[in-house]
Amino acid sequence: MSRIYLVAILVSAMCLAANAGTISGKVSGVSGESVVYVDVIQGKTFPAPGDHPLIDQKGLMFTPHITVVQVGTTVDFLNSDSVAHNVFWTSVGGNKKLTHNLGTWPKGEKRSFKFDNPGAVPLLCNVHPEMAGYIVVAPTPYFATTDKSGAYKIENVPDGSYALTAWHEGAKGQSKPVTVAGDSKADFTLTK
Amino acid sequence: MLMHRRMFAALYSLLLVVLLGGSSQAIPAFSRQYGTSCSTCHVDFPKLNDFGKAFKDAGFKFPKDDESFIKIPPVLLGAPANKELFPHSIWPGSIPGVPPIGLRYNHFFQVVSANRNNFNLQNTTGDPALNQFIPRTDFQTGLFSIFTAGNFGSDIAFWVDDDFSVGGANSNGGLGDGYLKFVNVGRFLKLPTDALSLRFGQFELDLPFSQARSWNLSGWDIYDQPNIGSSSKNVNNAFALANAAQGVEISGGHQYRGYHYSLAIVNQNTGGTPGSGGNVPAVVGYTSDSNFKDLYGRFSYRFNLERDPASRSEIQAAGATGPRDHTYLSLGTLYFYGRSVQRFQGQDASNTPVVITAREPFYRVGGDFSFNYHALNFFGQFLYGRDQNLLPLVPTGTPLQLPIGFTPGSAAHFSGGFLEADYLVYPWMMTIMRWDRVNSAADFLNGIGADQNSFAAPFLSPVSTVRNRITPGIQFLIHANIKTSFEYQIRPKQVVYAPGTSTTLTSPFRTNSAVAGLEFVY
Repeated sequence: MSRIYLVAILVSAMCLAANAGTISGKVSGVSGESVVYVDVIQGKTFPAPGDHPLIDQKGLMFTPHITVVQVGTTVDFLNSDSVAHNVFWTSVGGNKKLTHNLGTWPKGEKRSFKFDNPGAVPLLCNVHPEMAGYIVVAPTPYFATTDKSGAYKIENVPDGSYALTAWHEGAKGQSKPVTVAGDSKADFTLTK
Repeated sequence: MLMHRRMFAALYSLLLVVLLGGSSQAIPAFSRQYGTSCSTCHVDFPKLNDFGKAFKDAGFKFPKDDESFIKIPPVLLGAPANKELFPHSIWPGSIPGVPPIGLRYNHFFQVVSANRNNFNLQNTTGDPALNQFIPRTDFQTGLFSIFTAGNFGSDIAFWVDDDFSVGGANSNGGLGDGYLKFVNVGRFLKLPTDALSLRFGQFELDLPFSQARSWNLSGWDIYDQPNIGSSSKNVNNAFALANAAQGVEISGGHQYRGYHYSLAIVNQNTGGTPGSGGNVPAVVGYTSDSNFKDLYGRFSYRFNLERDPASRSEIQAAGATGPRDHTYLSLGTLYFYGRSVQRFQGQDASNTPVVITAREPFYRVGGDFSFNYHALNFFGQFLYGRDQNLLPLVPTGTPLQLPIGFTPGSAAHFSGGFLEADYLVYPWMMTIMRWDRVNSAADFLNGIGADQNSFAAPFLSPVSTVRNRITPGIQFLIHANIKTSFEYQIRPKQVVYAPGTSTTLTSPFRTNSAVAGLEFVY
């Protein structure tokens, strides 16, 4: 009996794998890193990952500058500098009601925050206004960042029709429909 | 007549300082070097926040782990390993990776009240050349300045600032500060960290509130107050605490918590005439006008008042939403001792003309406080100044009628100070309310005696020995390096006297002025 279940699971997995594709393309019109992600899929939820990505404040900079996480992810914020820092954001996905201030903590200590709302989170430090970082909270686990040439690749996306969004810190975000059936292409040209 | 010229010179200088001396300096060189905003160190530039004070105390460096913050690496003037070879190698140092240059420009617009030319009533000669004319409104170019500052490694800090032009004229601004500071040399003597530093060069005395780097459009009156005696006194001391001093200073402690002290030995020159000599030509010239060196001392203690002991000892306090300046109370005192020198034509016992010298000791003593609570900073200074008054002793019956020496007279003194409250409404907007007060009987008496041939400036003749000035202001940061400032000066009451008499020609009036300034540094 258990063998039957095992075979069924394997077959299902193979079928799913066979129906998962890749979205690739290029983001142009901007320089630097962009983020591309599959937007909300109606009726579908994804379990939050257990990993805690780390954003460090070191040398008066947020490192990494851009972090992409899935909704529900808890992010750890570390202060590695010998000066006081603070972390706050004025909005999440443009929603100013979601502003939050994590306060101040000394060198070597961390604070954590769980991001339950999708959208871009502009990170700021109220002591050093030049410091800027971003968390892009993607509503699905299907996201990627661009390389230096602007190319990106999102793998293991189930076949289907989705809204694909491209985000860049200095440009207007852009969404477009994409149909995934095996390998799919989607290019973006962002403008400021 | 001489007294009026002195008075005019002193007060004209004061006026220039008021109009042009709103010295505001933030240091773009540091912004470039560390890749950080002006507001890391400044509340409303050039007013320092607690971190800026710590940065300055440390010799223009981050107090800890400085290397990890520098975005543009310094150029090494010798590998660190050369230290092992000393004295057979030059001790290795470094220079900033980019020229540590900052530039600054400011511009003013001024409106003066309608009674600004009242002093023309003293001109009864009909000679228009003697009349002054002060326009009701005026656009005034201010300073274009360069300043460089940084650290040469081995805890040797430097600062040089110079005005290229003042009021649109070429290079008549001159050197501001120019010094080397050997920070924390007490480490060689096993003293606590930062207990002893040495500074050499030209610098502003370690005043409780820097006039040279004041954020106000006009300086604090008491720091520019000379002590020019009235005509019944033989005192002509042009020294003011805000003057640049040349000499050596030892200092220690911190400006952001605990104790801080400064002891300086500086040049004596109260007459404004530098020394000179053909037989012993100086390498570059002489600044002193006597052998005596003046002494300055200051001690202050700052109590950080946070409840959390760990937070109290940090450079900045940990607020609920981020680091901020401490809630603190700082108390301090200062003392300056000098010896003013005046030289006169006199005679000796055999009635032969000789030069006789009056050496008149003087001192300035003061106390100050500063209280800070979140966005409110309330502070003040009291100062008392006293000059010994040596009157020429002219014996009767001698043919030359020249003094043979001096006899003590009643001292010339003044007192005063200021109170100021700064409130940071927003990080980019600061409101200011000031009260300046100077009490000088000599200034009052000197104003009475103006004559029709020498009355050349307004603001000369206070109605009493006390001059009060109320100055509300507001400042806006357009960017962290661009500031526009507004100030309304409710100036001391004054009155115009008939030439050579104490008969008043006007009712008491105030020549108020409104000043707007626009300034940028880059």
